[in-house]
Amino acid sequence: MHIIVCVKQVPDTANVRINPETNTLMREGVESIMNPFDEYALEEALKLKDAHGARVTVISMGPPQAEVVLREAMARGADDVVLLTDRAFAGADTLATSYAIAQAIKKVNAKPDLVLFGKQAIDGDTAQVGPGVSEFLNVPLVTYVKSITVSDGTFTVETQMDEGVDVIEGRMPAVMTVVKEASAPRFASLSGWMAAKKTAIPRWGAKDVGAAAAMCGLDGSPTKVVKIFAPPTKTGGVRMDGREEPSAAVEAILKALQDKGVA
Amino acid sequence: MANTTKQPIHTDILCVGAGIASLSTALALLRTLKAQGKSVPRVTIIDKGRSVGSHVLSGAVIDPSGFKGLLTDEEFKKMPVEARVSKEAFHMLFDATHAMRIPWVPPLMQAHGYPVGSLTKLTQYFAQLCEKEGAEVFTGFAATELLEDNKGRVIGVKIGDKGVGHDGQPKSTYLPGEEIYAKVVVLGEGACGILTDKLIARKGLEGRRAQSYAVGIKEVVEVPANEARTGEIAHTFGYPSDWSTYGGGFVYHVSPTQVMICFAYALDYARPEIDPHLLFRKFKAHPVMAEHIKGGKSVAYGAKVIPEGGYYSVPQVVADGVLIVGDGAGLVDTLRIKGIHIAAQSGRAAAETLAACWNSNDFSLAALKPYGDRLKKTEGWKQLKRVKNVRAPFSTNLILGVMSAGCAWATFGALPFWPVPMEPDHETLLPLKGGKLPAPESVDASPTSPDRLTDVFMSGTIHDEDQPCHLKILDRATCTKCIKLYGAPCQRFCPAEVYRLEEGFIHVDFSNCLHCKTCQIKDPFKNIEWTFPQGGDGPRYTRM
Repeated sequence: MHIIVCVKQVPDTANVRINPETNTLMREGVESIMNPFDEYALEEALKLKDAHGARVTVISMGPPQAEVVLREAMARGADDVVLLTDRAFAGADTLATSYAIAQAIKKVNAKPDLVLFGKQAIDGDTAQVGPGVSEFLNVPLVTYVKSITVSDGTFTVETQMDEGVDVIEGRMPAVMTVVKEASAPRFASLSGWMAAKKTAIPRWGAKDVGAAAAMCGLDGSPTKVVKIFAPPTKTGGVRMDGREEPSAAVEAILKALQDKGVA
Repeated sequence: MANTTKQPIHTDILCVGAGIASLSTALALLRTLKAQGKSVPRVTIIDKGRSVGSHVLSGAVIDPSGFKGLLTDEEFKKMPVEARVSKEAFHMLFDATHAMRIPWVPPLMQAHGYPVGSLTKLTQYFAQLCEKEGAEVFTGFAATELLEDNKGRVIGVKIGDKGVGHDGQPKSTYLPGEEIYAKVVVLGEGACGILTDKLIARKGLEGRRAQSYAVGIKEVVEVPANEARTGEIAHTFGYPSDWSTYGGGFVYHVSPTQVMICFAYALDYARPEIDPHLLFRKFKAHPVMAEHIKGGKSVAYGAKVIPEGGYYSVPQVVADGVLIVGDGAGLVDTLRIKGIHIAAQSGRAAAETLAACWNSNDFSLAALKPYGDRLKKTEGWKQLKRVKNVRAPFSTNLILGVMSAGCAWATFGALPFWPVPMEPDHETLLPLKGGKLPAPESVDASPTSPDRLTDVFMSGTIHDEDQPCHLKILDRATCTKCIKLYGAPCQRFCPAEVYRLEEGFIHVDFSNCLHCKTCQIKDPFKNIEWTFPQGGDGPRYTRM
């Protein structure tokens, strides 16, 4: 079995602040991490490897410094990794990104058994690249996956839905996006890190994966950013204190709602 | 699980803690051997912080003398410290509003032209240089135990387990800590290093006087841009310390928009109602300080203890299989409260010794011993000696302290020639006056005066909450005694609000912990033991 996991390096959004003047991210003092949802995708792959034996390949697209998340993946147990990096990819939206990654996957293995993504990245929050790749690969897609079992070329997954858990069976290959309700990601051991740090990481550009220039980077991105703005800060709202006279407060609330045409 | 069975790891030189002391050791060792055209050892550096520099904290105005011969001129120029000290001032603060600017900066404290910036960034820079020379740096791994052979020689360390639940049971992610064996272990754990202090106690390596500490509490404040002030620094003395506690602060303009502000307070204070974080806020509100951070906003926070015992508190720095470098050995100039340069010098001294050991393939105790002598020849050691008795008299009275500092300067440290005694920090608390706490003072919160929990948030500290509490209260019955006698001082001395008294019970919110070690040092009954949380947990300083 060959499982490909796609991971992204993202800013640790717990620490991100927005520059109020330019509306852009202030990166000063913000660490880069592996997208947390992708850690769960990797863990599912490594669990399948532990249980059945599998080759786990991890792909990331990003600037050269994104290498560190690939090393982390190796330290945890991935077999091989690829960094997709090229100026030609710069400015890619989710469509161009999906295309580039799909091209890379085809080069790694024309017929992988599973391709796993995190549900979404915590920076852009689009949740579009996993589904986009499944389209480019023309392989079925299952989203919100929380557990995976496989046998004889078929899979059974549980998916986390708003009102419960769906159980879905299907035939491999498949693309899946994984949620945080899956198993907790394992730690990388020191010896794992020692080996990972010594590995040379292959870097592929647009030409290496046979990507058409017109479909890469800005040129291949129909999404245009028109404006960036911070949402207006929420104001405190109106407080009605009903501790002394609850009925008066209720009346005041009803009146306020009627004035707004709500009730 | 795939990664539960592990072979032990072997390396040549193992450095515990990726601070300036360890990194200088590695850098100097590799460079020395390469310059000699010799083979180089495998040098492995591990640190408990999530990334390099995430657990270091300093001012930092750096005495550049420490990096001479360690960094090339170009590397020195490229150090990621944004500014050089351009203007210095020294203030005596009398009370909340009054102050006097000392017309001259005391000669032992002058720092004109010194680099000033973030120690976190400097440490990251040093780590990059080390990696370029071939050292390996791994973060997120806490060395929790020294491994010894049956003759008591240190032969390696054990890494702490990961993935242990709050009940002590392994979780699905359980990863047993690996063992690393080395020809020699270099302990560069920093102030109040847990393995270091245990080793010192076990082997009887103590100095002539118990180590004493201060807790340094620091914020980075973003201020409206002011190019002209970059490089301006000021140090203070006095308020809000009382007259018998060594305390002072500083403010450094490290860039047009960033100001570092810090207050350090000696942990041999006597009054149990003292709250160093509150003192820090009062300090920032003093007009002399407030002016520096006007219109600003605090954006980062941290706290760390500083060894202040100086010369007489330095332990023996060599034991069988192990060298102690930097703050872990208490190598801090106690007048200037500077240790980065001495850490670097101790690292170089260690490296010279290790180079000789490597070349002769002899890491025996006798071969390691010369490190101690080399350390004594460093500039840093001479500074330590010169101010050897400056700190102690401050514990009695501020004026006495200032006089002793003058005396040290005038006589090149010759007087007083005996070790002025100091009590251990945990023995200095007096019982509450009248058996109860005075009403707590309140300070209004503002962008430059956040409350303690807001500050804790800004430190970025985080611990996996499903793990055993790493701050062990040894005996709950002692708590009851302590609450009655001292009013549970842990609630106040902790700059991270870890300890909380509710209905007679001390709750320990260990996820707030900044790894500063104040609790282990100041608890009057030595009833708190600081143990290692899961590697990678703790503060995430990015510009301390």
